[in-house]
Amino acid sequence: MAGDTDRLRRLADQAVVCGVGESAYGRRLGRSAIDLAADAIQAAVADAGLTKDDVDGMAVTFGSPLGADADTLAFALGLELKAYNQTWAHGRFTGTALQWAAMTVAAGLADVVACLAAVSFTGVRRLRVGGGGDREGAREGGGGHGEDPVYGMTSPGAGAALMARKYMARHGATAVDLAAVPMALRHNATLNPRAMYQEPLTLDAYLGARLVAEPLRIFDYCQVNDGAACVLVTTPERAADLAQPPVYLSGMQGLPAGRHEFIWAYPGFGTAQQAETDWTPGPQPVHRMAGVTPADVDAFFTYDAFSPLVWLALERWGFCGIGEAFEFTRNGRIQVGGELPVNTNGGLLSEAHIMAWNHQVEIVRQLRGQCGDRQVPGAEVIQWGNVYGDSLIYHR
Amino acid sequence: MSDYLKPLPPITNLSRPYWDSLRQGVLRMPQCRACGLIFYPPAPLCPGCWSRDLEWAALSGRGTVNSWVVFHQAYLKGYDNEVPFNVAEVTLDEGPRLMTNLVGVDNDDIRVGMPVQVVFDAVTDEVTLAKFAPVPGWQP
Repeated sequence: MAGDTDRLRRLADQAVVCGVGESAYGRRLGRSAIDLAADAIQAAVADAGLTKDDVDGMAVTFGSPLGADADTLAFALGLELKAYNQTWAHGRFTGTALQWAAMTVAAGLADVVACLAAVSFTGVRRLRVGGGGDREGAREGGGGHGEDPVYGMTSPGAGAALMARKYMARHGATAVDLAAVPMALRHNATLNPRAMYQEPLTLDAYLGARLVAEPLRIFDYCQVNDGAACVLVTTPERAADLAQPPVYLSGMQGLPAGRHEFIWAYPGFGTAQQAETDWTPGPQPVHRMAGVTPADVDAFFTYDAFSPLVWLALERWGFCGIGEAFEFTRNGRIQVGGELPVNTNGGLLSEAHIMAWNHQVEIVRQLRGQCGDRQVPGAEVIQWGNVYGDSLIYHR
Repeated sequence: MSDYLKPLPPITNLSRPYWDSLRQGVLRMPQCRACGLIFYPPAPLCPGCWSRDLEWAALSGRGTVNSWVVFHQAYLKGYDNEVPFNVAEVTLDEGPRLMTNLVGVDNDDIRVGMPVQVVFDAVTDEVTLAKFAPVPGWQP
């Protein structure tokens, strides 16, 4: 274990975020993905005190047909990239991109890596996630979120609904319990002028809303929208004389896959082909790498495309026990001002769905103390951790 | 020509025996002759031990409801007049789970853990789907 930790520690604090930026977020902005990306990249470069020619690497997590690809962005923006990388068009690869960027700058393959997604969901005619365009559901081996269109099973949210039903039945959680998640994130969004939804969400409004894939209601789903957000990664040495204080990438844990994993559930949960066991997470490599425990984490950020994902993420990363998150999230504990603020920007559910690049921007601003009314006082350690098992620990 | 509008399965060399057996009214899944693992979806080798010595085992067709959802929104062609409809994940007695639809039960009466058994729904000349119904004598 000691040798393993030594190896993990090699990359700890060897990369930093030196700049962040975003475009406007909204629906039907009437702007292309490349247009939105330009706003986010230029804002991040200006934030860092860098210039165009300093950017020599890029990592994109959501390219065509809905997003801007790395190669076309380099062409359109006149960037000369030494190294770029791009993942399958899915929201889950945000941490993966940042980990690649950290390894890339630490290894000297590039100096400043722009990490981003730029999407124009509403710029595509008749787009719907799931349905007749469910090419993913028809993938050999099945859809990434449990899609099986042959039986009408389509859309990422339906996979989350299937997980939520099992969780609620096993642990005795109710719709009122689940409502606490989108209500808390909406509260956070009321403190964020950039958020798409700033009106408070009441319990009556939540319970009265239409069902989509029952047991999930429309407020358990994030919207699809247009926008871009960018994070610049470089070395601590390069960041030393830049405009903003560096935010360190102190811990990392990669994105797992296998028969024991399902994107919307941790091992042992017992969905898809997972065994159903009494699995508990215990200390994770990300904690060892960063030298912290869950008790040291000042705020937690997670991929909240659907509200029940927040429950399983809190359990996976050890903030409460298995089956306890539906109680943990009651009474405002996860909102700004609570014991463990989660997604202080309002999350995908209420700020915007920028593949959680907007979450990374918010994490960095929290650690710089730039979040105004929603600032977590004295924030020093913030974790990005997902139900699907990857994580980053940021440190100022 | 079939007037069946709903999506049909992509059939590959790996999955063809599964669909062929459903058409013949038998639920079969690959089983490893080396370690005994029964698994789904079909794979080129045993995901447990990497043996390539596989056979298609006939299963009991019995299982329990692991979870289910009810769609209130029609995303797919052929479903406009079917909402609300259920999709269930069934854990077969032999271990693997299957996505399916439950028939012969009201959506409001479905429960986690309810015992079900396979029924075969020939939706086209080529494709038969494995759906599941409550076992005889089951009461909500």
